Amino acid sequence: MAALVGEMSWFCCGNAWGPCGSTGRGACGTCNSGNYQHAWPNASAACFTITRPDSCGVNMTRRGCGFRHYTTNLCNGSRIGTTIADCGPQTDLFCGERSCCGSACGSNRIIDLTPAAYSVIASLSSGLRPCSVDTV
Amino acid sequence: MTPKMDRRRLLSTAVLGGAGLVGATALGSLAPEAAFAAEAQPVEPGAPDPNFAEGRISKISAGTLLATGSDGVLHSIRVTDGTSIWKLYPTTFDQVAVGDGMYARGVRLPDGTLAADSIWVNIVNLHAHIAAVGRNTLHLDHKGQRIVAHVVPGLSAAVYNSTPAVSDLSLLKVGRHVQVLGAWHPDTNEISIATVYAAA
Repeated sequence: MAALVGEMSWFCCGNAWGPCGSTGRGACGTCNSGNYQHAWPNASAACFTITRPDSCGVNMTRRGCGFRHYTTNLCNGSRIGTTIADCGPQTDLFCGERSCCGSACGSNRIIDLTPAAYSVIASLSSGLRPCSVDTV
Repeated sequence: MTPKMDRRRLLSTAVLGGAGLVGATALGSLAPEAAFAAEAQPVEPGAPDPNFAEGRISKISAGTLLATGSDGVLHSIRVTDGTSIWKLYPTTFDQVAVGDGMYARGVRLPDGTLAADSIWVNIVNLHAHIAAVGRNTLHLDHKGQRIVAHVVPGLSAAVYNSTPAVSDLSLLKVGRHVQVLGAWHPDTNEISIATVYAAA
């Protein structure tokens, strides 16, 4: 599979403080903010009907709970391996959105990482970054 | 040949030796994106990261935060002069308060203390719908929960579908889906807005 280029953000899950307290353990029932995990828009057929990356022209392989993806921050080249623990992001709500670091750009939201994972490759205060995602 | 000093050794030395770190070190910037780019993490995908902590701050003393994790685990987090702290904006250790929520990343020392590279205090990143717009406030529907998001003049910014961030939030309308990066007001349903990302 060729690397998929798009945008990444972060989300909280599991036991949590503040507004995150209502988020739960995600579609897979295993999600924790402190683990190397992520949400994937095509984690199941039911998930896909909600996130609809295809409506933004994003062709995304269906991968289930526990599948490993490797995400690279296109701003600094750092990389993290995580497993699917939830459904998301809702790609269709931000169709065409584009993030850049200089000439390195990504369009459409393709992955949300847990805070533990995102903070390895970017600052949580950055919120949104261009990225590439692959399986090896 | 001069041995290369990595971040782990630097932070460990600084913490264990009790010496303060100067903000700009021989390693260059301590900003998270620069700092973490070069650091390999041996943690397996899916596994918890021992170099990361989250929770509510229960005690602050002599450069150390004690935090109770949401899973009940207690964390001791050591802050050095090189630790970057964010609380709605980059700030200093004296702005951290008991009761704040936090995420921290750093190096786990042999005694279990986390020597922090970065601490994000009260940071939230919410996906929500705008339910109402008030004077300097957005009322958000976040997973069925109402959140009152305050605009902070001179600080809050909006990114409208890829455009550069602007201070004008007037284009945010009821019903729109947004991502809001901000800082939670502890023990309330309120936040202060750092950045709102809005779709077209």
